[in-house]
Amino acid sequence: MTDRIDIISPVNLAQLDHILEKLRKPATYVAGATDIMVQKSRWEQAGTLIDLRTVQELVSTLEIGPEGILIGAALSFTDIIRYRIIQEKFPILVESCRQIGSVQIQNRATLGGNIANASPAGDTLPVLAVLNAELWIGPRLKDNFTKMSVDEIMTGPGKNCLQPNQYIAYIYLPFPEPTDPFWYFRKVGQRYSMAISKLSLAVLGWKHNNHIREIRICAGSVSPRIKRAVLTEKLLSNQELNSKVIEKAATQLMKEIKPITDIRSTHNYRKSTAGRLLQESLSTWARAGK
Amino acid sequence: MSEKKKPHSISRRKFLKNLGSGVVGTTVAMHGLQKISKAQEAAEPPPHTDRSPMTITVNGKQITTLVQPQTSLADFLRGQLQLTGTKIVCNHGECGACTVLLNGEAVYSCHILALDAANKSVETIEGLLEAEELHPVQEAFLDHDGYQCGFCTPGQIMAAQAILLQNSKPTRAEIMSGMSGNLCRCGAYPKIIESVMAAAEK
Ligand SMILES: Cc1cc2nc3c(=O)[nH]c(=O)nc-3n(C[C@H](O)[C@H](O)[C@H](O)COP(=O)(O)OP(=O)(O)OC[C@H]3O[C@@H](n4cnc5c(N)ncnc54)[C@H](O)[C@@H]3O)c2cc1C
Ligand code: FES
Ligand code: FES
Repeated sequence: MTDRIDIISPVNLAQLDHILEKLRKPATYVAGATDIMVQKSRWEQAGTLIDLRTVQELVSTLEIGPEGILIGAALSFTDIIRYRIIQEKFPILVESCRQIGSVQIQNRATLGGNIANASPAGDTLPVLAVLNAELWIGPRLKDNFTKMSVDEIMTGPGKNCLQPNQYIAYIYLPFPEPTDPFWYFRKVGQRYSMAISKLSLAVLGWKHNNHIREIRICAGSVSPRIKRAVLTEKLLSNQELNSKVIEKAATQLMKEIKPITDIRSTHNYRKSTAGRLLQESLSTWARAGK
Repeated sequence: MSEKKKPHSISRRKFLKNLGSGVVGTTVAMHGLQKISKAQEAAEPPPHTDRSPMTITVNGKQITTLVQPQTSLADFLRGQLQLTGTKIVCNHGECGACTVLLNGEAVYSCHILALDAANKSVETIEGLLEAEELHPVQEAFLDHDGYQCGFCTPGQIMAAQAILLQNSKPTRAEIMSGMSGNLCRCGAYPKIIESVMAAAEK
């Protein structure tokens, strides 16, 4: 039984790594605390909280490389929405961040927290999956971060595969090919603000001569883990976008996802809505190409 | 207005009970690597106090005080500083009644720890008043009937103030999305939006 709470506030990554190396009892990371505040039992047991919002690199990094950007895991959604480079290159990410909670939540909640919390309803997860995001996991081993994809880190609802001493340090986003990308993000919930998704769909694609050259599709809240709909993607690639193909793709997506029934929605509702959303997105894309 | 709300909410009371009576908290802020080993020592029994020292600026005044580590900012403001203008309704980060500004940005004070606001600046509804003068946003809510029972109003006004600090001429749509995290049980939304639009005109 823990009878005290320690809050450790490392100021930089070197300190954080050093502390983790020395730490003998399990600790709980806190970033924006928007999930943690409603899971008090978790930190009651832990006794030690490690505040990631004091780690300078994690809260302030936005590095622009030749092929992508590196985002500190403890940047808030408000920070992310405000960066021009993210607005220009990753509008789909901005859209998903805008739809999280309310302004008050966006001001506090972090991208790393959304990933680590590993809720199948985490709104940025399908988006990060279609952006081929790479998660950089600390502490560094021989100066290197461990790299992981979004579908690798999540092992089930509320579960991630991180060891107690591991944390998400950065999110690396490769720039999507700049020529006419099509993107779509839609979240279906009880109401616009504050709703936990019943279902969400992220689509990113490119056409060439009226044919789909590449498409990435990921639905949220439809399975215990976040996984791209690879069979639907395969079915669509190299196809011309017409109503028959769109219909077939929607049917395939409904087959491919394995949603559950819970308090927010039913299996059947989720399936058919996912199909509808895909139809909506592809029809929009078909019209846009003309 | 006197409210019966005690500084400890139910969930917090339960929380304390679960922890046993000997809750001891420490904040270990470290500046410089050489202090780390000391911090590790601090993980062994520290000076026996159940409160952590904290410096915080509230409505422009810097305060240094002791706070129990598990106290929410809302409980701290209301219970310890007697700033009861900030309301607690859901105590769960969902309704917006407890909205205050933290370094100029709107946050739910019920949903963050007081220690999270250490070394930062907090502005509450009380801070808008200048002596006896109402703030233009407060005035606009009065002039345009931006409330009915008034219980959500301090939170609405602080959320509005956060928008206006960023953008002195917000559109209707910007106001609606910026304030979507503030519920009003009386459904005074049209008047609330009207009030914010009017405040922006001032
Ligand atoms: C009112 C309300 C509305 C919400 N609406 C939405 C919504 O619309 N969509 C949505 O997706 N979510 C929503 N959420 C959930 C939450 O805001 C998000 O999941 C948020 O991104 C969590 O980030 P955080 O920084 O607050 O995480 P925290 O609460 O600080 O942490 C969450 C978990 O992740 C761990 N953690 C945090 N950062 C790291 C890291 N860098 N490395 C390893 N572990 C880490 C913590 O230990 C904890 O287990 C809502 C929450 C509330 C209270
Ligand atoms: S009381 Fe804080 S959001 Fe409802
Ligand atoms: S005025 Fe009564 S809750 Fe908003």
